This record gives sequence, structure tokens and C-alpha cells, in this order.
Amino acid sequence: MIENLGWLLLWGVLVGLDLASVVQTMIARPLVAGTVTGFILGDPVAGATVGIVLELFALEVLPVGASRYPDYGLSAVPAAAVAAGAPGVFGSGFGVAVGLVLAYVGGKAIHLVRIENAMDIGRHREVLDTGDARAITGLHLRCLGRDLFRSLVVTSIGLLFASLVVRWIPLTLQSVVYLSVATVGAALAAAVSGVGRLAGRKTALPWFVLGLAGGLAGVVFG
Amino acid sequence: MKRGMVESWLRTLLLQASWNYERLVGVGLAFSSEPLLRDLPGGREGERYRAALSRAAQHFNGHPYLIGLAVGALARTEHDAIPIEKMQRLRTALAGPLGSVGDKLIWAGLLPVCSAVALVLAVWVSPAAAVLSFLILYNMVHFVLRFWGLPAGWSSGLRVAQRLGAPAIKQGLRMAGPLAALSLGFALPIVAWLVRHLDGHELIAAGLIMGVGLVFSRWLWPTLGGNRFGLAAIALALVLGLL
Repeated sequence: MIENLGWLLLWGVLVGLDLASVVQTMIARPLVAGTVTGFILGDPVAGATVGIVLELFALEVLPVGASRYPDYGLSAVPAAAVAAGAPGVFGSGFGVAVGLVLAYVGGKAIHLVRIENAMDIGRHREVLDTGDARAITGLHLRCLGRDLFRSLVVTSIGLLFASLVVRWIPLTLQSVVYLSVATVGAALAAAVSGVGRLAGRKTALPWFVLGLAGGLAGVVFG
Repeated sequence: MKRGMVESWLRTLLLQASWNYERLVGVGLAFSSEPLLRDLPGGREGERYRAALSRAAQHFNGHPYLIGLAVGALARTEHDAIPIEKMQRLRTALAGPLGSVGDKLIWAGLLPVCSAVALVLAVWVSPAAAVLSFLILYNMVHFVLRFWGLPAGWSSGLRVAQRLGAPAIKQGLRMAGPLAALSLGFALPIVAWLVRHLDGHELIAAGLIMGVGLVFSRWLWPTLGGNRFGLAAIALALVLGLL
């Protein structure tokens, strides 16, 4: 991980900015962020496995209005770094667990940035209300810088946390299997609950059941 | 093409950078509108330019991909010297529909559909195929909406609400929910198949955790959220591992 630290930090910053501030091309989806991290570290399958599980959690998030949500995209970068190079379930279960902790922390960081943005507006209310273009542009760019700083700090803390956890928490194979079971079960619950929330329970149910039948057929005959 | 349109469009890509709990995307709206307002009578030092920017920077909410409609329409009303009360009514009337149409169409439709496609491809084909297909499929629709929004808003002015009732958008809104549910329903068993290497007891445990999670999210504690439930499940797993 250390030899690719620069690339990981750069990728983390891009992912963090893409979440809301810049374009939103969805490189901040955990499946994309995790898989690309895997590619950077030479283990795309491990990155994708962590990304898939975190993507299931992210399906529950509906980022509307002033809603607050965990940052699964940014957390997928250190999470995939934990999983990359580790043998099978040992890496992915552990990686997803690290990712869930960091997603919680990342969500809090987004909230703090948005509070600070509002306070910045409060400090410059008078000049903003005169329609001063320079003040508006300055405020907007300061807020962008704040989000860049958040992305850099959360990625750095995440990677540090990931490397400490891998090195210092002595988990047995049985513990890691338990972690995998727990995270996969919780991820599937989040995804199913997300379907209801996204599409409306009454409207969604028949289509969801039809899709399930197709998916099961795909598993059996695929 | 209206002067400043390209710069304004590029600025809409950064619209949410100044998102905050007080004005939501209001400051971003002013930042994006500014190039379109420069040639108001009096120029950049003029009273109309400053008044227009001040109005633009007030509270506003809307989906980022459709915000071009609002940026274009509100800038057009400033150029057409529409009475301020009418402008304010347009602003208030636009915020709700822009948010709800975008949320239903993108966050509850396009995004989960693309996500489901990527999940299936990640399991069945390869991680690279999943990532590429997700980004291409999603961003085709994303950028079509962005390219359409700003010129459509500018050309419509006060009649911009009619654009939101376009047949393609209505059709998209009808299909978004069912398509998302269908595609995610299809993807979940295929993703769940990844854990087939677990033994019988472990599969039952994963199923139990999923069931408990659903009961919590549906009935017992709907505001708990998947992240906090997942953290609780991790804590339980670590304790069991230690025992």
C-alpha cells in the first residue's frame, strides 16, 4: 500500500469530490471506487468484492434535500486497500468492516463541511446580498476547497486506520468468517430495504419479485 | 448561442460545491448563473446585474442534473425584465418539481438500474466490465440531461415548467421505479451467490442477520439505517469471534 500511497490519495480525493461537489460522474459509487483501488494495488477482484458489498449498503441511500448519509464511496478506497492482496474471505470481510466504520466517519465529515459552509455564508451575508460576484465566486471556491480538504483528510485517516487495523488487530480466521457473514447479511438487508424506499413498496413489490425470479433462474441455469 | 452559455454550463458541474443547510444550492445557482447575467443592461457594474445575482444566491433546491433548467430560465427572466414577484413565484414553483423529478428519475431510477447491471457484470463477467458499463450507461443519460437543461431553460423562460412535462420525462418517471425494482431483484440473488462457499450454519446466520435487518428497517427502527445496523452486526461478529 505504501508504494502506491500517492495514487491512493489522489484517487480518494477525486472520489470524495465526485460525491457531490464536482460533476457526479459516479466514480464515487463504492463498486467503482473499490474496483479502481483494487486495480491500483494490483488486485481488482478483491477491490470489486469489497465494492460489491459496500454497493449493496449504498443502495439504501437516497441523497435528497438535506438528508444525511454515510460516505460509502470514499470509504471503499481504504476498504479495498485492506482487502487487496489478502487471501479470499480474510481480506473482503475485514475490508468491508473497515469500510463501514469509515463510511460512518465520512458521513459525519460531510455534515461538518456543510455546517461550515452555512457558517461561511453567515459571516458574508451582507456582501452576498449586495450581489457581489467576487464574493459569491470566492465563497463557492472556498467551499470547494473545504470539500477537497475533507476528501484528503478522510482518505488519509482511512488509509492509516486500514494499515493499523491490518497490522495490529489479531483476528482469527473464524473471526473473519463471522465478519463476512455479518456484513453480507446486513448488506443484503440494506439493499432490499433500499428497493422499497427507492421505488415505493406497493409499486415495487411485483417488479421486485419478478426480478428475483429471474435472478434465481440465472443462478440455477447460468 | 447566448453569450456565457458554455461557461455557465461548465459552472453547473460544480453547482453543489457550496451545498449548505441554509441556502442549499442557492450560492451554486448564483455562481452558475453569473456568466449569463454579465450582459444585462449596465454590465457588471450595473444595478440589474447585482440585483439579479443577489436574488440568485438566495435559498434554492433542485436536482443537480436538472439545475440547468432553473439557471437558464431564471437568467432569461432577468433579461426579459419580468416583474420581481413573478420571478420569485417561478423560483418557488421550480424548486419542488426540479428536486422531485430529478430524485425519482435519477436517484430512484437510473442509478439503481445502472448499479444492478454493474453488480451482475461484476459477478458474471469481470470487475473492469462492471465499472466501464456502469460509468458509460449512467453518464450517457446524465450528460444528455445536463446538455438539454440549460438551453431549454434559457429558451423557455417563464414557461420552463412545460419542459418538465415533456413526454420523455413523463415516460421516464413512469418506468423508473419498476425498472429499478426489477433490475435490483434480478441482481440480488446473483450477488448473494457469491457467498456459496460459506457452510450451512454460516449461510443460515447470514440469512438471519438479513431478516433481522429487514425487520428493523421496516418496523422496529426505520431510522436506524443500514450503516449503523452493519456496525452493530460487526460488533456482534467480533464479540462472537473473541468468545
